[in-house]
Amino acid sequence: MKKQYFVCIALIALLSFGSLPLFSQGTKDAAVDGPMTIDLWYGAAVTEAGPPPADWVGFDIIKEKLNIDLKLTTLPSNESDQDVKIQAAAAANNLPDLFMVRRDVLTRLVPQGLVAPVDDLYEKMPTRTATHYNEVSRNHAKFGGKSYGLADPGSIVKNEGLLIRKDWLDNLGLSVPTTTDELLAVMRAFTFDDPDGNGKHDTYGYGAFQEVNNYEAWPGRRLQPILGAFGVEGTWDMTSDSAGLNILKPEFYDAMAYLKKMADEGIIDPNWLAYKKDDFRAAWKQGRFGIMREQNAAFAAQSNYAPFDKNFPDGEWVIMDPVEGPKGHASIGPYTAGFRIYAISAKAVEEGKKDKIAELLEWMASDEGYFLLGWGVEGVNYTKDANGVPVANGLPNPDLAFSGPVGQTVTQLRNMVFYNGDIELYARYPKYTTATSKKEMSALEVLRKMQTKEWTPAVGSDMLPIPNADLKRFYEQGLSEFITGKRTLTRTNWNTWLAEFKKLGGQDWNDKGVAFAKENNLLNE
Amino acid sequence: MAERTAKQQLLRDIKRHKSVYALLAIPLIYYIIFKYVPIFNGQIAFKKYMALDGVLGSQWIGFEHFKTFINSYYFVELLRNTLMYSFGKLVFSLPLAIILAIAIYESNRPILRKTVQTLAYLPHFLSWVIMYGILLALLAPGDGIVNDTIKLLGGKPIDFLTNTDAFPWIVILSDAWKEMGWSAIIFIAALMGIDPSLFEAALVEGANSWQRVRYITLPSIRPVIVIVVLLRLGTILDAGFNQIFMLYSTPVYSVADIIDTWVYRQGLLEFQFGLATAVGLFKGVIGMFLILGSNRLVKRFGGNSLF
Amino acid sequence: MKKIGTRRKGRFTSVAIRPTAADHSFNFLVDLFLGLLLLIIAIPLWSTITLSFRPNDYIGNNLEGMFLMPWKWSTSAYEALLGNAGFLLAFGNSVKILIGGVASALLLTIPLAYVLSIPTLPGRRYLNMLVIVPYVFNVGMIPTYLLVTNIGLIDKLPAVYIPVAISTYNCLIMRSFFEGIPNELKESARIDGASEIQVLLRIILPLSKAIIMTIGLFYGVSFWNNFFHAMLYLNSNALQPLPILLRNILMASGMNEYVEVSAFGDAPIAAIKAASVFMSAIPMVAAYPFIQKYFTKGTLLGSVKG
Repeated sequence: MKKQYFVCIALIALLSFGSLPLFSQGTKDAAVDGPMTIDLWYGAAVTEAGPPPADWVGFDIIKEKLNIDLKLTTLPSNESDQDVKIQAAAAANNLPDLFMVRRDVLTRLVPQGLVAPVDDLYEKMPTRTATHYNEVSRNHAKFGGKSYGLADPGSIVKNEGLLIRKDWLDNLGLSVPTTTDELLAVMRAFTFDDPDGNGKHDTYGYGAFQEVNNYEAWPGRRLQPILGAFGVEGTWDMTSDSAGLNILKPEFYDAMAYLKKMADEGIIDPNWLAYKKDDFRAAWKQGRFGIMREQNAAFAAQSNYAPFDKNFPDGEWVIMDPVEGPKGHASIGPYTAGFRIYAISAKAVEEGKKDKIAELLEWMASDEGYFLLGWGVEGVNYTKDANGVPVANGLPNPDLAFSGPVGQTVTQLRNMVFYNGDIELYARYPKYTTATSKKEMSALEVLRKMQTKEWTPAVGSDMLPIPNADLKRFYEQGLSEFITGKRTLTRTNWNTWLAEFKKLGGQDWNDKGVAFAKENNLLNE
Repeated sequence: MAERTAKQQLLRDIKRHKSVYALLAIPLIYYIIFKYVPIFNGQIAFKKYMALDGVLGSQWIGFEHFKTFINSYYFVELLRNTLMYSFGKLVFSLPLAIILAIAIYESNRPILRKTVQTLAYLPHFLSWVIMYGILLALLAPGDGIVNDTIKLLGGKPIDFLTNTDAFPWIVILSDAWKEMGWSAIIFIAALMGIDPSLFEAALVEGANSWQRVRYITLPSIRPVIVIVVLLRLGTILDAGFNQIFMLYSTPVYSVADIIDTWVYRQGLLEFQFGLATAVGLFKGVIGMFLILGSNRLVKRFGGNSLF
Repeated sequence: MKKIGTRRKGRFTSVAIRPTAADHSFNFLVDLFLGLLLLIIAIPLWSTITLSFRPNDYIGNNLEGMFLMPWKWSTSAYEALLGNAGFLLAFGNSVKILIGGVASALLLTIPLAYVLSIPTLPGRRYLNMLVIVPYVFNVGMIPTYLLVTNIGLIDKLPAVYIPVAISTYNCLIMRSFFEGIPNELKESARIDGASEIQVLLRIILPLSKAIIMTIGLFYGVSFWNNFFHAMLYLNSNALQPLPILLRNILMASGMNEYVEVSAFGDAPIAAIKAASVFMSAIPMVAAYPFIQKYFTKGTLLGSVKG
């Protein structure tokens, strides 16, 4: 018995002390004429699919052509984790050479002197600059006159739309609503008149969840079409003669009253406050509500539409115009130019890596880099169709297709080369026929149609100052309490609450935002 | 004269325990490097931390960060919520864990006992993301199982997850649900150390099962219970960040926001590490007071104190 | 485990005392409590299990999902996970962290807990204080991050477990168990000329199997599930452990701009999430029954007599 213990202890000792040096062989930068190491923290296209394998052909090509030893780190899949990781590294002055970063975080890093200006890079990368950067994007990460980040094209502009169940309307003999009053009537009918004819009270008019960002404050993106009817879409009014926080406008109260009516009558899915993104997306596929704002691909891409198609072969969503409010205003919501910022650390510039980084980024924009990072190796991960568009058909091993689980790992860096060009859109959104109802679907056509609807320009409204955490909480909590009934929504209460909001820093936030917008010429006529 | 002998005694004691100190060497070095160097770095709580200047080079600003925290708009509410959840969990989950441990120990049905013992700790492995999904399936106002039942019985559905009255209970109960079996493990381990001959003696004296638990079982595991409670008091201002962060939403901020979620939103996401550290120290001071005070109480009543 | 059964029987037969009404009510309540608990715990577990086996074309709500019949189950989620390029690599890293972590944690914690449990030790009070202070004063992420960077642990697997290799909580719990061991045992060994290390190895450890296993389990689970430190300290893709992969899966939709593709082929994402929880919990779950073997009643007594 005792012997056993001795053996056990000895084993543990060996293991734990043995494990220390085993893992601690750090790799220092290679010799002077060897390849230059560049640490890249990138935002993966599909994080959960896994990083490019260690024997990915891209590493060799980059080493051979550019004499760069590329070291990859996949950033966490969720934004706040990313922020924490980057800021921790920043606090220890240990930022990687090149890294993706949200603008809010970049705002904090620049005054710390941790990030290098990139203004001189644009002319060193002519190919990339031509397709990736314009005036707006160069301004996007500008602080004190200098650009501190390369703002690459991110999500496609105006890629969401207001959708309504056409089959439900037909069942009930209704037409697509055009005003807020008609919308109310349709939502009521969708809730109480059993639009799916299953005899159960299990449907609702509108579906949403809380999806809040800097320029679409509470109640967030999914309810912007409602706010738009009252002319208070988005956090900020970006027109020059009425610029400021929308919440301070009298019309915001009317929008709130409308939302409250939706909540009280139970014609908005009551789960909307509890839903997270996945739950919301599962809910419309289950036929729980008949009106929603959804993204083009989340709605119409093959794998996303398939469950709905199977559940409701006769179901049909149509893209509708935003409804008009009492003053004739209508909007799907505010739109900005979506960017994905890559910054270069001051440390990397000190180590003389800036030119090499430019070389790397420029190569990524070349035909070779574009197709390799975007779709993989021709004949292995993709083939080109007659129009030169990469497709996943006719591959010797279909598992390796760029759209398949394995093939996705070698295209994780594609966000660094894509710029929403036509080839990309055709490749990303192929036409297909649905399995059950045999409908012709194309997320690209959906996108094009969504873009023709009424939107409110708000480019740069995502650059305006953000409130501190307490003010933000006051804003969100107050609004949601008015909706849930914890606060009674009357003009008096509303004004009292607004006064408190202004006192807590809301007025200051408003003024700073307007000043910033004017200074940077962000306001529209 | 007396003093000298006391000193000599001490020296003799130390000498006698020479090998004990040798045993201590590695853990002690570990403590200094991995626990006390960070505490030294914790001086950024009193500084305007600039990454390029480092910990030592940054500028002192006194109690600025502490003031920011204490003067913040929601301070009182944050403190109240934090204490509500940590005490709630302490007085609710801990007794449940102890009862569970004793029930497992006392049960005369081996199959039931073994099944419970094997399953009870499993929910610990379900992360809060998954737990949220389960809670939503149970409690969602639209189609949750509980609300479906309420509707079936003719009642009005309740928005458990976004209602300020229900939310605190959801937090405390779901925590008990998830962690009770896991917390019970340590008490089960303690119960295993009880000398069975004590029970036989009790039986001979005619004690029934209740009395056995009251006079033998509970007192035997009292030292462990005391230690667990004392240690929990030391970190009383940690009310379970992961859980709250996953469960809360804007309508329930007033009863859900705790110190840690505030720090997360205010400090970590906005590069205010000095502030985050200052809040950590603030929590530590409160914890230290509680731990010292209750330790004293325990000592007075002759219990097994922490130090 | 057999021992318990026989001894339990002995309790009522060898001592000829009939169970009273109080005993019956006690037994009834105990079993009722356990039974109810079983039911309550079974719900989340069962719904997660059925969720993980849910086929992609499943129609119905969560309640109906719980009664999905096994013959309609689909294993596509598990297949997709095992087929994930990073899964085996991440699993391997997690195993390395687990072994290295538990070994170093126990190696550091046991001696410290033992030393602190010696009542006659001069300076014990100060030592206890030394241990408690960092437990109570948690200075947070950055001060530790700076240390880890400065000593070059960053981007190495031990960074995940070395900075948390002693948990004061676990250490003091262990101490209180050590204190429960009768002093006469230790003293007699010391009188026989045994050194403290020998006392620890020969007297304390054999009597403390249950608690060492338990604390080892606590450490093991905390290292196995340690997402936050892995996210902070590990950069290289090749070093990412399972909790990172799991988090990426659980948070998948939060971030994914390109919603048109799925990383897991045909399996529904909800099933993937549920399955990933089980896949990652398996090693820890498997370890517990093994540890339970050491949970036999009256361990201490047997050893003293033997």
